Amino acid sequence: MSQILTTAVTAQAPVVKSSPKTASPWRPAAILLALAAWAVASIWLAQNPHNQDLTGILAAPGAGHWLGTDHLGRDVLARLGEAVRVSLGLAVGSASLAVCVGAALGLLAAWWGGWVDRACNLLADAIAAIPGLLWVLLIGALAPGQKWALYSGLVLTAWVEFFRFIRPTARGLLMSDQVQATRMLGFDSLYVLRWHIWPPLSGSLLKLWSYAVANAVLALAALGFINVGIRPPSAELGQMMTEALPYYGEAPWLLAAPVLLLAVTVLVLQSLSVAIARRFES
Amino acid sequence: MSKEVLLRVKDLRVRLKATGALLFEGVDLELHAEQRLTLIGESGSGKSIFAQAIIGILPDALQTSGCVEIAGHRTDGQRSRTQPLWGNTVVMLPQEPWSTLNPLMRILPQVAESAHYVARATWPKARAAALAGLKQLGVDHAAHQYLHQISGGMAQRVGVVAAGLGGARLLLADEPTKGLDDDSREQVAQLLAASQGRGQALLTITHDLDLARQLGGTLMVVQRGNVVEMGDAEQVLSNPQHEYTRALVAAMPAKWAPLVQPLKPNGAAVIQGRGLSKRYAARRLFDDVDISIAPGEVVSVSGHSGCGKTTLGNILLGVKSADRGEVVRSPVPRWKFGKLYQDPLAAFPPQRRLRDALNDLVRLHGLNGARIGPLMQELSLRPELLDRLPSEVSGGELQRISLMRLLLLEPAFIFADEPTSRLDLITQQDTMRLICRATQQHECAVLLVSHDPWLARASSHRQIMLAGH
Repeated sequence: MSQILTTAVTAQAPVVKSSPKTASPWRPAAILLALAAWAVASIWLAQNPHNQDLTGILAAPGAGHWLGTDHLGRDVLARLGEAVRVSLGLAVGSASLAVCVGAALGLLAAWWGGWVDRACNLLADAIAAIPGLLWVLLIGALAPGQKWALYSGLVLTAWVEFFRFIRPTARGLLMSDQVQATRMLGFDSLYVLRWHIWPPLSGSLLKLWSYAVANAVLALAALGFINVGIRPPSAELGQMMTEALPYYGEAPWLLAAPVLLLAVTVLVLQSLSVAIARRFES
Repeated sequence: MSKEVLLRVKDLRVRLKATGALLFEGVDLELHAEQRLTLIGESGSGKSIFAQAIIGILPDALQTSGCVEIAGHRTDGQRSRTQPLWGNTVVMLPQEPWSTLNPLMRILPQVAESAHYVARATWPKARAAALAGLKQLGVDHAAHQYLHQISGGMAQRVGVVAAGLGGARLLLADEPTKGLDDDSREQVAQLLAASQGRGQALLTITHDLDLARQLGGTLMVVQRGNVVEMGDAEQVLSNPQHEYTRALVAAMPAKWAPLVQPLKPNGAAVIQGRGLSKRYAARRLFDDVDISIAPGEVVSVSGHSGCGKTTLGNILLGVKSADRGEVVRSPVPRWKFGKLYQDPLAAFPPQRRLRDALNDLVRLHGLNGARIGPLMQELSLRPELLDRLPSEVSGGELQRISLMRLLLLEPAFIFADEPTSRLDLITQQDTMRLICRATQQHECAVLLVSHDPWLARASSHRQIMLAGH
């Protein structure tokens, strides 16, 4: 009874309850996993995405080619599989490395302060001063068509966001009474990191990570669309759109497939981060 | 009692919609113009729910039944019916004026706004009324300044003037002295009394018995959603009838018997500060403070807020450094010098179960974990509390757990920084008694910081006053 009373008294403002269905991160996560599983499985199950068949170009979806063929007679379903595989692989990899770099530098800056802090901030500001896509283009130009160049470009622009989130939060936590109390009891920095810094940050990091993956997928498609990203004959969503553009009159499904797939992928990633945010805020 | 009735409450009940549990039970009262009513009770007693029902801001999860009538308007605690009365008939006096006043506007125009928009006065009249109101509370010299240029106390008065200009007849004040020291509380009491102009009624909700006494009028004592006693404030406080009221009154630090045993003279000081001085920028906190504390001795530091009490303790602990002077500690590991925080919640890793956090500590220093059980018993703590997260334990219990955590380390010195100021009266007395008993039993030196001179006197061997500037 008194427990109920206290909760009722402290609940000054009416609490807006989100229905548990919309708050569950499992549904978008499941769709994302299914997408990734299909992309990987298409290595063995689908036809060779690079096989050209000039006698059967721009075929409509049918029994032989479920989603039809493109202007070189290649199987669209197989190409979509390869495109998602490449996109998600690069995006997940770069976002994950960006989290590590951003979190490490953010913690370093918060912990040491002084010139380390200033140097890290300067670096972050310098990178944020130039649009992200431009960075990716610049670095991509050093080694045209190389995946590692795209990868480093994406990481370089993505870590700043994590750094800017981690640094002030960690700094506030490090100066708090709870950390002071733990230090006075004789615990070391590792313990402080594990039990004071990590728990409040982890949820937000996961959310930001999911956003960063979505951003990277979009960036890769944008680069592919202007023909500077992944090189042919490797399939890539943006590049497939460019290739399909001249034929949208005869074969609209050719353009629709990568567009829809890109939209679904980004939507799923964003709803995943929204769901994660809800879960950790509640 | 021919005066107009400004608040009439009949058989008001508040219950939780989900379970139907009764949170506030059947109260009947009438508050006439020029009267004062003070509701008193501990946190969780339902007094805030009562205030919320009057002003119509009860959370959606709660449901009212019965009758509430404000100056002749039936509101029954419904927001839709109460909201039209806000400002012009009933007003809530701001608790933290810093967050309710606009930092981008000068004082006079924003005070005049409430006269213009709420009381529908023309601008020249509104400005004149605002100036008159400011003058009445002695803050007219601040009329053309901004919020950041005036002190907290002045801002509070400005807030009261702004709230009062709407012409409301019924004033509500919810915990107006939360977190204030004695001097400021005195001022707030005077302010509340002064803000009640002609024909207004004042309803104050507080856990502060001193404030209730200073305000006078009628006193209503609430326990677990029930009104247990009601009557003239002076009479209720000096001659309480109900058992709960008696316990409340007895728990006022001014009535405490000494909590410490006379000190046995033994050995050298555990901690010594010599000629300590500290200043922040241009502000001098203290100069040449000498302090020395022996094992088992409780030394209290008092002084008004901002005089450097906490800083002195932190310097002794070594968390902060002094500008001048030196601190000599007995040669034991640094973790034997511990601190009790004002907010015990701030002293624990929030996501670690208490038992795990304690076990971490036991493992770290190779302590005897078997002592946890007896120590818990000594501090009258139930063992199952340790299976919870810090946020799931009440403030009083958590403060005792953090004391237990320090005692586990066999500490040489504990700096207790307002350890009970956030606790209810009765819990405060229990907790303070246990702190004093345990630290003496374990021969631990204690520096106690408290804003309450009565509490400091009752629970220490020696008192140090910091003058402040």
